[in-house]
Amino acid sequence: MTTELDIPYLDIADPSFAMHSQAVRDARARSWVAKTNYGYAILRHEYVSKLLKDPRLRQGSAKWPEHNGVHSGLFYDWWTKCLLVLEGEDHHRIRRLLNPAFSLKHLEPYLPRFEELADELIDSFLPSGQVEFVNEFAQPYATRVLCILLGIPESEWPTIARLASTIGLALGITLEQDLPAVEDALAELYGYAEDLIRDRQANPGPDLVSRLVDANRNGDSLSDDELRNALCLLIFGGMDTTRNQLGLGVMSFMQHPEQWELLAAHPELAPAAVEEVMRTNPTTTWVTRETVVDFDYEDLHIDAGTTVHFFTQVSGTDPQAYPNPEIDITAERVGHYGFGGGMHHCLGHFVARADMSIALRALSKKMTNLRINGVDEWMPDSGNTGPVLLPLAFDAR
Amino acid sequence: MKVIVDRTKCDNHGQCTFSAPTVFRLDDNGILQYEENVDESLRDEVEEASDVCPAQAIRIAD
Repeated sequence: MTTELDIPYLDIADPSFAMHSQAVRDARARSWVAKTNYGYAILRHEYVSKLLKDPRLRQGSAKWPEHNGVHSGLFYDWWTKCLLVLEGEDHHRIRRLLNPAFSLKHLEPYLPRFEELADELIDSFLPSGQVEFVNEFAQPYATRVLCILLGIPESEWPTIARLASTIGLALGITLEQDLPAVEDALAELYGYAEDLIRDRQANPGPDLVSRLVDANRNGDSLSDDELRNALCLLIFGGMDTTRNQLGLGVMSFMQHPEQWELLAAHPELAPAAVEEVMRTNPTTTWVTRETVVDFDYEDLHIDAGTTVHFFTQVSGTDPQAYPNPEIDITAERVGHYGFGGGMHHCLGHFVARADMSIALRALSKKMTNLRINGVDEWMPDSGNTGPVLLPLAFDAR
Repeated sequence: MKVIVDRTKCDNHGQCTFSAPTVFRLDDNGILQYEENVDESLRDEVEEASDVCPAQAIRIAD
């Protein structure tokens, strides 16, 4: 029988807590589950795989605004109607209407422009032999990819990046004090989204927004408000994550330069390179769920309403699922949970996989001997993580 | 039309159940169950399920 005493405890709110730490690896070796100051954390791959998709758990962020003192207003209304937090048929209906537009076959026409964009950005700093990777590559690339997908002029990317980052403050624990800025940014983003919808309703084309305007199933379609909410979620969820994951990916390859050289020599391994960095060094280090009912699992009892964090990097490097967990872009691997899983599996994963694989392929083709060139700065190694500043020096090839 | 799910790839995310709910469903244990022989009238739904599968585990054999 598992008792409280048998379960390791992890203080994941401690500023010094780190996913890449011996304490977390020791906890994983001892037990599949840890108690945390928020609830429980699932540590091993086998258990993440089973429980992440268990219908007795739901997405765990629905009450985030209320838990932070926000009970009404523009942000509250958007968040509580967001695909991210909807459940049951309300969720399935919108997901069913959105999913096809994000499938691989509809993304393929965009990929040549993603490749050109990666080359343009790299060529702008290549002769100097140095780059501040976050601001000179990852952020403009991630944001302009979204502009390309949505049909927003790429020159407007700094505005989109600013709005997405400001709305991102809503995920911080200072939400209440940031709320006026978050709501101003959301209102401005609503304006962008509503203009796009009106334009595609009048001038439909083969693009993503037109597909969503046209999305229809048995007579059901997205209302203008539902479509606007979804476009804002796409920008909110697609920018920071891709930017951060690219920085984490480059850092992983700097620690494994032989893998970087392998990628440069075998560009067809770029999709595997994306999977490996997301498995071993994901930006989303935990995925949050909440138990809907009282929950018994392998002698552990969890009360309804308890927060459960699924640790993605920890389960992605679990030696029981990955006997040699170090990054290896030639290895056959079981899947990781860097994109979450189940009903709430990341909607934009085909986009993210494609754009990051194009970026890593282009970077490895043109740059070698990457090294830190100055002072790098990082978000804490928990929650959503990544570099704030990543100054690099390199040799062009 | 015959539906084939590669169980070595399928990770039971359940996205297919949104596209073709009469063909694919998750059982009480969250495991995918599906019809193997499906009427031709459901081809569009099953193709959509195949397109949106995060693990790309579904294919149609004619």
